[in-house]
Amino acid sequence: MKAFNHTNAKNLAEAKTALAKGEAELIAGGTDLIGRLKDNILPLHPTALINIKTIDGLDYIKEEAGVLKIGATTRLADIAANSVISQKYTALAQAAGRVATPHVRDMGTIGGNLAQLHRCWYFRKPENRFPCVRKNGTTCYAMTGDNRYHSIFGAVNRCIAVNISDTAPALIALNAKILTTSRTIDADSFFDVKNPGNTVLAAGEIIKEIQIPAPPAGARSAFLKFAIRKSIDFPIVNCAVLVGGGPARIALNAVAPKPYRATKAEAVIAGKPINDANAEAAAAAALEDAKPLTATRYKLQIARTLVKRALLRTRTL
Amino acid sequence: MANEETVNNEGYGLNRRNFLKNAGVAVAGGALAAGLTPPAERALAAESAIPSALTSFRCPICAKDFDTFAALKNHSASEHPGRVPPVTTTLNVNGKDYEVLIEPHWTLQRVLQFRLGLTGAKQMCGRGVCGSCTVIIDGRAVLSCTTLAVECEGKAIETVEGIAANPKWKALINSYCKWDAMQCGYCTPGFVVSAKVLLEKNPNPTEDQCREALAGNICCCGTYPRHPTAIMEAAKAINAST
Repeated sequence: MKAFNHTNAKNLAEAKTALAKGEAELIAGGTDLIGRLKDNILPLHPTALINIKTIDGLDYIKEEAGVLKIGATTRLADIAANSVISQKYTALAQAAGRVATPHVRDMGTIGGNLAQLHRCWYFRKPENRFPCVRKNGTTCYAMTGDNRYHSIFGAVNRCIAVNISDTAPALIALNAKILTTSRTIDADSFFDVKNPGNTVLAAGEIIKEIQIPAPPAGARSAFLKFAIRKSIDFPIVNCAVLVGGGPARIALNAVAPKPYRATKAEAVIAGKPINDANAEAAAAAALEDAKPLTATRYKLQIARTLVKRALLRTRTL
Repeated sequence: MANEETVNNEGYGLNRRNFLKNAGVAVAGGALAAGLTPPAERALAAESAIPSALTSFRCPICAKDFDTFAALKNHSASEHPGRVPPVTTTLNVNGKDYEVLIEPHWTLQRVLQFRLGLTGAKQMCGRGVCGSCTVIIDGRAVLSCTTLAVECEGKAIETVEGIAANPKWKALINSYCKWDAMQCGYCTPGFVVSAKVLLEKNPNPTEDQCREALAGNICCCGTYPRHPTAIMEAAKAINAST
């Protein structure tokens, strides 16, 4: 790892000022960042890291006036183990509990899980060996190379790498809002494809809080993840659903450069009882617009099955 | 990466070889006698042999020694402008405070190994994947290879050496030995640390709970089935003795 300065921020204003000085990056859990810095994957290396774990009052889970509020540096293990979240916001607890390994969940934060960079072996190749479109280059090496874990919904800004956050689809299904230092953003429109970065956050903008409205009475949510290994691995596809008590919400991730909201499937399942036939019809609708590459065709079957199973799982929870 | 870290540490600070030499002398005055000392006592003695305060400050760039940290800082500013200056921090490892001179980008694993000579937390993948470098920070099993040492000031760090030196956890180590839950042994300290955290949270784990708690540790030799057996037996022994 190249050398950098390190400062502990005492409050968000201090962190913002330090960020504005340029070539600085925030560190919370560090599970994505430290690996990335060790591999030196980006052309620019930060000259300073600003630790936001030292900011008081960013690590909390509380329910106020029918809204669940989670601080940005709340660790994933705490979210997975929280009894209120597992009962009322089931999909989020299940998603947080399926991220990487127990150790990583004890380090990684929810804010970091949303803001982490994507996984593409060309983008992540150590020592910045592939100056791809996400590094302001001209070529997407995955497009002509090995893209078996890439998008089945086409490219965004010419990048076909997928967003692999596990909590992102759960937050989208649960209709969450993300509070930053300057605005409130719907989880739906929080994700973007930038160089580098997977969120719409502007330079110097910091995630403060995640707010989730309590699901309506009778609503149930579920999250499922398919990965090659049960532990440690990133998803091949993951899926979160919220059904009952109002309009259904279905979100998939690791299928597109941004988390994918399956609005067609939501329309199919709306107002219908959850049973095998309806779940299957919704699953088929979810993948209707897919344009898989030759190597990612297998993901269609997995994604369809996950949507179906996640819907059916809401019955038994 | 491992090479870079080893090379950078050559010639200054506390390296494993001279640490072992010193520790050996401190324990029993010779290798023969050290072999007869019970392991827990050896672990304790090895830790007490680590100096808790710095007496000399070596520049990480040109290896020049200074008597005070202020002198080193002045030297850094004048001789190596534009470089990141080293920092001192106090780490509470296994209940004892140690002052260490480090650079801000050093990981906790690197500091434990090259500054304190505690080689239990192993560098393997270096990317937070394999769990060989697991240590306990404030009661959580975390990966020291992806934790910056400067961020650990004021936190209670426990390593496998601390577990080995604590008579309460002797049953866990014994059980691991009895069930031979290791082959090459490189990953074993990580497993033991994860197991200790599990047993602290859950004194009677089931096999599935053991597997879940150890899901972040990789063993290339494939000793996985033995670990739950060893942990569940250790749990019984620990519960019986307390």
